[in-house]
Amino acid sequence: MKKPSTPTAMTRRTVIKAAAAAGAALLAPPIIKARGEEPIKIGLDNPLTGTYAALGKNELVGAQLAIEQINAKGGILGRQVQLLVEDSTSGEAGTAVQKARKLIERDQVNFLVGNVNSALALAMAGVSNEKGVLHIVPGGHTDGITGSSCHWNVFRVCNTTTMEANAVSSALLKNIGKKWYYITPDYAFGHTLQEGLEKAAAKGGGTKVGGDLTPLGTTDFSSYLIKAQSANPDVIMFLVQGDDMINALKQAVQFGLDKRLHLGGAQQELESLLGLPPEARIGTWVFEWYWKQPDVPHVKEFVAAIKKKTGKVPTARTWFGHASIWSCALAANQAKSLNALKMAKALGGMKLPPEVGLMPNEAYFHEKTHQLITTLYVGNAQAKGSEPEDLFNVTQLVKGADAAASPEEAGCKMTWPSAT
Amino acid sequence: MRKHWGSGVIWLLLFTMPFWMLAVGGYTELAARIVVLGLAAMALNFLLGFTGVLSFGHAAYFGLGAYGVGMTIKYLFPSTAAGVVIGVAAGTLAGAIIGALIVKLRGVYFAMVTIAFGQVFYFIAFRWNSVTGGDDGLTGWGRQPINLGFTTLDIQGNDKAFYYFVLALFTISVAVMALLLRGPFGRTLLAIRENERRARFLGIPIELHIWLSFVISCFFASLAGALFALVNNFTDPRFLRWDQSGTFVIMAVMGGMRSFWGPLMGATVYVLLQDYLSSHTENWMSFVGLVFVLVVLFFPRGIVGTARTRTVAEP
Repeated sequence: MKKPSTPTAMTRRTVIKAAAAAGAALLAPPIIKARGEEPIKIGLDNPLTGTYAALGKNELVGAQLAIEQINAKGGILGRQVQLLVEDSTSGEAGTAVQKARKLIERDQVNFLVGNVNSALALAMAGVSNEKGVLHIVPGGHTDGITGSSCHWNVFRVCNTTTMEANAVSSALLKNIGKKWYYITPDYAFGHTLQEGLEKAAAKGGGTKVGGDLTPLGTTDFSSYLIKAQSANPDVIMFLVQGDDMINALKQAVQFGLDKRLHLGGAQQELESLLGLPPEARIGTWVFEWYWKQPDVPHVKEFVAAIKKKTGKVPTARTWFGHASIWSCALAANQAKSLNALKMAKALGGMKLPPEVGLMPNEAYFHEKTHQLITTLYVGNAQAKGSEPEDLFNVTQLVKGADAAASPEEAGCKMTWPSAT
Repeated sequence: MRKHWGSGVIWLLLFTMPFWMLAVGGYTELAARIVVLGLAAMALNFLLGFTGVLSFGHAAYFGLGAYGVGMTIKYLFPSTAAGVVIGVAAGTLAGAIIGALIVKLRGVYFAMVTIAFGQVFYFIAFRWNSVTGGDDGLTGWGRQPINLGFTTLDIQGNDKAFYYFVLALFTISVAVMALLLRGPFGRTLLAIRENERRARFLGIPIELHIWLSFVISCFFASLAGALFALVNNFTDPRFLRWDQSGTFVIMAVMGGMRSFWGPLMGATVYVLLQDYLSSHTENWMSFVGLVFVLVVLFFPRGIVGTARTRTVAEP
């Protein structure tokens, strides 16, 4: 027989213990920070785990370098800058939203930065807009962020999926073939990238011979690859990213598909190429930034600074993180205010200085969509370059302004709050 | 008298939470999240702890409530109240239908089938991009101020107002559950939990009672889901997935599934651990797992359950 207990009884001691436990758990976070000159806070809500962990971590490195540089140059409005980092996970929008709210509510950040994943970036933009916090999206590409779902407070550094599609399609149509098969990640990024490519292909006489939507985090692509092969395309377009790209391309090469078809796509990243075996570093792609730009000023210094920090060259993601944080500082220093509305007005139309832009053409935020208009680097992946990390051969530079959709095409109708 | 004292402290803490949350490093939305997930865990525990039936698919009804409120506000009419009603109705209806289908199953078979049905809803939400937003989640909507006739409750812009709106619904839900459990219906459920065969020999319609308990549990789970969507102004297919169901079970077991307040305590510990640890380490789940293992090994009756047993044993 067990000790007697009444089912609903709750004794005083129970409650004291419970309260003590709850109290101990609550006391654990740092309570009140030192008063005086509060630093300016930038909240980075980005993946550190999962499919996009490698991309998110590189954005973090770029962001950290930018923080060091900004602080060395006197900070934002004369105050030091502090970076608060939260792991948004790679695919759980609910977590990203929760972290965004935490950064804004509890930590009272002045800026929100994130996310790699387009869906998470869109969800976070909903939060930042609700709270009226200036939000920079470093690396979520789906059109909607600066298109149909654009907000006055949201700016984006990486390209739109339409820009990537327009940049790469002519090279693929001209040099490879017109029948394309799509392997597309099943969320916002994949949907709009495929849509953009289909549109761009149609203009050049290309057709879609089939396609599959794959859930984020797919590890086994064999069934999709078999289906793709039997559709007999000229190109299999790999639109998946991060670890999914590595798995998909690796398996395609193991199946010997590269001997019969062209394996390519739109967006490709150095992180993925570094994760692939040399024989799978193939295909025509577009890069959004490349570390080997001998003729562009300041790039050498940036590469050296990152190499000093991590031992590796910067990738497009490192550049996104760097440019995003710098955009925060530029906006505040230009507006001479931390008011989100004033900063957003200042950042719209702003040209990035060359030491931040680090591109052959001057990068600027489009005034109407808040999209950064950059340079796109079309070229081929290569098994081995002049240096171990030189895995991409740039063949063509595309001006962002030529590849971007107009605000009307993008469907961006921005509503500004009344000035307060 | 002592038990009233205990509940009193819990209510006092809940009602004052927004005022001391910030001072101890929390924030108002965290308080709302604790209350909402606590309600979900208590709803699950109505079935698990007081009827003795393990459901591993409660996220489905939680998520239906969430999508119900989100889609109502986004597509039908911008009213929080209508959204909550429709969300709860959708979750409860699904619970009633699925409950009727599976009520004869027991033990692990029941748990397995609840997972299977739960995953059906998950995949609908995940794949039906044009309506549910698919993997992106449902964005582009938000909670709306509630018009009470004489005044407007600004749950949109005022965090504290929203917290008390959530707490009011929580209070009503908890009171209804407590009343049900205290009455003959609740005693019958306990009888079924303790010895189903004996209860059957006494002439109790077992299936009907388990079905009713399942539906009541789904009702409150979908209410929690609807509120959770309002906390975030967002829904995600993962709200419907089986691992979310597992989280509710963990909360209930960690807090103590034989006690009424146990799941709330479990939810509090879980949410605080998640909120705090995930800012410091990517591997926060392993710490939550560690706590769970320790609780199961050393406090098999859960945090509240163990504390109570110990005190009762003292002279």
